[in-house]
Amino acid sequence: MLRYRCLTAITILVFLTLSGCAVFRDTPQTDAYNRFAIRAAQAQLWNEAIFRWKQVINIDPDDSKAHNNLGVAYEAVGNMDAALTAYQRAAELEPENKYYRLNYRRCRIHLRRSGADSKDTLQMEEDEFLSPEE
Amino acid sequence: MQMAKNIGLLFVMLMFCGCGSAATRVSIPVKVESEIDINRYSNFAVLPFVPEKEAGRNEELPEDIGEEIASILRSGLARQKHFEVVSTQETARLLIGETIGQEWLSDTEHLSQLGEYFEVKGIIIGSFHFYSDSRPRRYYGERYSIQRQRYVMDYQDYMQKTYILSLRVMIFDVEAEKVIWDEAYRRSTAEAHTIGSFIFSQAGPQANTMRELGKRAAMEFTREISPHYEREDRYLVN
Repeated sequence: MLRYRCLTAITILVFLTLSGCAVFRDTPQTDAYNRFAIRAAQAQLWNEAIFRWKQVINIDPDDSKAHNNLGVAYEAVGNMDAALTAYQRAAELEPENKYYRLNYRRCRIHLRRSGADSKDTLQMEEDEFLSPEE
Repeated sequence: MQMAKNIGLLFVMLMFCGCGSAATRVSIPVKVESEIDINRYSNFAVLPFVPEKEAGRNEELPEDIGEEIASILRSGLARQKHFEVVSTQETARLLIGETIGQEWLSDTEHLSQLGEYFEVKGIIIGSFHFYSDSRPRRYYGERYSIQRQRYVMDYQDYMQKTYILSLRVMIFDVEAEKVIWDEAYRRSTAEAHTIGSFIFSQAGPQANTMRELGKRAAMEFTREISPHYEREDRYLVN
């Protein structure tokens, strides 16, 4: 019985180590930039965050996280066109991600309320990027 | 067998941990546009507010409380860069000889003439209804009983007096001679009284409470008609 428990503990340890490796699996540099940029964004240093996420995109143009986060940062500084482009790119790269769709939808709703976006465009793009059940 | 089951379960859990992407919620400022056309309605005259007579139950208030509400609204609007407001002194000077009554709220012709006289695009006018509602309440709590050596349930009766202000604000378009905004803002505040303090409060002045509630209602109106920033949540993906 004791041997089994010991074995279980060792197995847990091995899996935890492996899962740790899986989280930081590749591109440690872009991940580090992303984490740094998120901290900057939390401190409301949006320009610094934009600079970092642009660096991530320069390294890996298909990083959907960076595109989404860049969209949030652009929205925070009031650059709505760039924000929409970034959200669209993130949704194109990873259409199933609920956070990208949520950000994108909120941005469009906000634009529609402020009169800068037409209802037809919103519907068209929602049909394109968003699944009907959400 | 049991161990294999445990390992399988653990493996599935860890797989989900590794695959899931965590998100950080951040709040960003978003610009909220005015609910009126601020390019068209850029200058206003704010007329003194009138008490609603048919509503009844108005508390005893000073005569000039309607003018005070208008003054609060004027100073709130004057702080917004998009609006120009006729000053309190100028308004008082231009209204010499006029008796403001509730009939003004529906007299579009007269309001239009006043607007031309004031040389403004819009006139802000409205009415107020201020009253209080008192109800007995019971507060349940616990107290320590020395006899029983433990906490026991206890209650205390008190009077809850709620002051309610209903402020109706209208914006009148001088050129088109029509009302473009007609909203009621209801604000309330409550205070707890014993029987003794309740009697005193009935006799005491209530103008300060009214002013405070008027300030809150005026702030909400100003916020609605001027562009401002609000905070909204977005998700940053780690």
